[in-house]
Amino acid sequence: MKLWSLWRKREKELEKEIQHHLQMAAAERGERGASRRDAEAAAKREFGNVELVKEVTRDAWGWRWLEDLCDDARFSVRMLLKNPGFTIVAILSLALGIGATTAMFSVVYGVLVNPYPYVNTDRMVHLTVQETRGNPLFINLNGPQLQQLRQAGSLESVAAMQGWNLTTTEGDLPEDVRAAYLTSNSFIFLGVPTLLGRGLLPSDAPEGQDPENVVVLGYQFWQRHYNGDPDIVGKKIQLVHKSYEIIGVARPRFTWGDGEVYLPLKLTADPTRTYFPMTRLKPGVTRAAANAELQSLLEQFAKQTPSHFPEHFHVTLAGLNDHFVERIGGTLYLLLAAVALLLLIGCGNVSILLLARGTARQHELAVRSAIGAGRSRIVRQLLTEALMLSLGGAAIGVAMANNLVKLIVDWLPEFSFPHEAAISINLPVLFFSVGLALLTGIVFGISPALRSARPDLAQVMQANARKTTAGVRGRRTHSILIAGQIALTLLLLAGAGVAMQGFLGMMRVNLGYDPHNTMSVGIPVHDDTYKTWEARGTYFHQLLLKVNEMPEAVSAGISTNATPPNNGWDERFEISGKPAAEEQRARLNFVSAGYFVVLRIPLLQGRIWYESEAMHGANLALINQTLARQYFPNGGAIGSEIRVPALKGEPPLDLSAAGSDGWFQVVGIVGDARNDGLRNPIMPSVYVPYTIMMPVFTQILVRTNVPPLTVLHAVREQIHTVDPDQQSDRDVRDLDGWIKHEPEWEQEHLVATLFAGFGILALVLAATGLYSVISYTVAQRTGEFGIRMALGAMRKDVLLIVFRSAAMSVVAGVLAGVMLTISLNRVFTRWIEGSSLDALVLAGVILLLVITSGLSCFIPARRASSVDPTVALRYE
Amino acid sequence: MKEGYRNRIELLQGTLDLLILQTLLWSAQHGYGISQAIRANSGDLLQVDAGSLYPALHRLEKQKWICADWKISENNQEVKVYRLTAAGRKQLTRERSRWEQISDAIGGVLNPGKKESAS
Repeated sequence: MKLWSLWRKREKELEKEIQHHLQMAAAERGERGASRRDAEAAAKREFGNVELVKEVTRDAWGWRWLEDLCDDARFSVRMLLKNPGFTIVAILSLALGIGATTAMFSVVYGVLVNPYPYVNTDRMVHLTVQETRGNPLFINLNGPQLQQLRQAGSLESVAAMQGWNLTTTEGDLPEDVRAAYLTSNSFIFLGVPTLLGRGLLPSDAPEGQDPENVVVLGYQFWQRHYNGDPDIVGKKIQLVHKSYEIIGVARPRFTWGDGEVYLPLKLTADPTRTYFPMTRLKPGVTRAAANAELQSLLEQFAKQTPSHFPEHFHVTLAGLNDHFVERIGGTLYLLLAAVALLLLIGCGNVSILLLARGTARQHELAVRSAIGAGRSRIVRQLLTEALMLSLGGAAIGVAMANNLVKLIVDWLPEFSFPHEAAISINLPVLFFSVGLALLTGIVFGISPALRSARPDLAQVMQANARKTTAGVRGRRTHSILIAGQIALTLLLLAGAGVAMQGFLGMMRVNLGYDPHNTMSVGIPVHDDTYKTWEARGTYFHQLLLKVNEMPEAVSAGISTNATPPNNGWDERFEISGKPAAEEQRARLNFVSAGYFVVLRIPLLQGRIWYESEAMHGANLALINQTLARQYFPNGGAIGSEIRVPALKGEPPLDLSAAGSDGWFQVVGIVGDARNDGLRNPIMPSVYVPYTIMMPVFTQILVRTNVPPLTVLHAVREQIHTVDPDQQSDRDVRDLDGWIKHEPEWEQEHLVATLFAGFGILALVLAATGLYSVISYTVAQRTGEFGIRMALGAMRKDVLLIVFRSAAMSVVAGVLAGVMLTISLNRVFTRWIEGSSLDALVLAGVILLLVITSGLSCFIPARRASSVDPTVALRYE
Repeated sequence: MKEGYRNRIELLQGTLDLLILQTLLWSAQHGYGISQAIRANSGDLLQVDAGSLYPALHRLEKQKWICADWKISENNQEVKVYRLTAAGRKQLTRERSRWEQISDAIGGVLNPGKKESAS
């Protein structure tokens, strides 16, 4: 804008200067006696063409390039508006490609490039270890251990967190609030200023005293619970009957630990209380060095509290985003590659259109070059047109991307990306899109521009008399572009086919339980309540009875840690009288007898324990079919004894029945149900009464005779009657909902849907490209067809000619696409797990492509064959 | 037409710049004044047309050899007046000595005998 006003000013000054010149010249002539009119006319004559003088003077300013650019842009817009059909198809082709690419890039940028708002995230590490089977595990430490960790030489600072479910006790029903208790250095550690008020400070939890009753609200909670009240700081909030002063509100991207409220944490010396550590390495310390130092420290800790560590481990610190990169990184890059293909296909389309139009405009360009336009000038003009198209496409594309981004964010697996990530069309993403637009403009614009800028004058002038067939070279370029488009489309469609096949396969998996009309209600127990085994057992039992007596409830059961499809604690177990050659592991589940009724898991052999036995904490167990088959291949499972050595409570949090680490008698075998997700094989499973081990939470499964979520409020009221402070988890879903919450379900759903969408778009684009080429050739060869038909060619002959011209490039494209797909199959199988290309999918894709291509050829071909020879010969 | 103008500028470029700088050496002038001064001082032989003069002026201004001020004339009009800068003064000396070299050289070519006797 500044440049523009400067330009206007200089323009005005030049005008003034020239007018002054003319006046002076006229005045001098007037003094010599000429009449006023003659003097003015003579002065003008002498001066020459005013506009021309202005133009050459402006050249001296060195702004000519800018002026040319504006001229080119204006001219391009005029040319594009004159061909609205062409312009719309071209811009839409680009908008689809650029929009999809922008959306995918903004997800990649948000999740993988810049996910965290915290300071020095590159040096922040999670304290993780690998146990013998290579699985990574987060390690929690107790208070004294944390103090010792702070002394480690490779660490700059250590903070810690503990999560608890609290409730607000203001409404009619207690509302669940996820609280993150943070050590008082945490806000300084994370380094993100608060939105309102202040963060937690060391003075909020003085050494050796109870922490102050202060709270920092999470942004989401502040929005939901207080409607974003700007004057909230200084007010009080009641959490489990305790009053806290609100001292600040966190920023939207501050979501550490997914906390809804942040409270000061006091580390206790109690060895059973563990905390989640957050650590930052000193600058220059490598992870390998830190791993080595921490290994001996953690081994020492493991001796103090063996139940908090795996038996054998080595420390492998993990970067903040490592876990997410591993989970979703490949998928995101795969999708980005897919949209890049889509963009390439769109570019191919515009290239084809421009080439076709370039040939149509050959006459115009030849005339321009004949009257002296330089080759570089014409190339520049055509490139400007291409850039106008791509920038137009980018503008529409970015607008579309905005919606697509929201859709993708909704579909991203909930725990496969950091919740701090700000996934939106932001400045870096916009830069990317504009850069992309310029790049695509050059990519699809350069070849048509170079070709069209080299018109063979003599040939063009001659050809104008009658449109003859295009030169061989032009047709070859078209064929290559079409073949390329078809190959890439085939690749995308095959990818979509593979992804959809994988997803459908997962949907058809035999679950082994009946998820319909059943929901799981999570129940977090408050700190310092129901502290004895008897009290907690009775409490859980009462909750179960209350829910069960509802009229809508068909059946109910307790499933502390056993809600499928991914359930149970992974534990080592022993079988009495059968010394294990290798480590035996099973999923250990704490359930009530009603669990099997609710989920309709069949009892295959033996019996289920009675409620009375459960209330005594009897050492009885059920096993699943897989365990029976694997460890008792010759039968004899029932009556055998198994033992889980690590099954021992840690009061006051985890309460276990006496003798819980002793021998359990197997009383029955139940059918297999999914317990390790939808994709992995079913693991051996052991079910014991929920009273054997009661941590500070449980879940009640309830099967209802109405859609379960409609009675959630009633369930909560029932729970309320047992304990007025007892809330339930905010995130209550039916079991179908939990299946859809599985990361593999969400991931495959995302990939399959997006890939299918991109594949269809690619197909539409390729069909448009083919259609444009054929229509254009047909229009160009109208005269030729007229002659052929006048000489006796039949309609079908003409049809055949048209089809043959397209068939070559389609066949070549399909072949190239098949080869491309097969060679990239490894990529598919790696990133779209549990699926690989099969011949049926490939055949289906090829068929779809061939039919679509045939249809796109048929319409223009029919037009060609219905040409009236007399009209055709007179044509132009 | 446009190309025609440009060619003439190129032909005159070296000399026109020299003439403008020389004209501005003693007093500041507006565009018309410069063209009239060149005309008068060359005995009406050299007529600088506007299509060469103004591009040259604007180019010299861009090179900072001359600079322009807006002044109010007697009949109360804004007038763009050019004057020589310090850099322009130096440039004038350079251009003059180059012009003298060229005219000597051309003189030498046109009158070979004279040159020999002179040396």
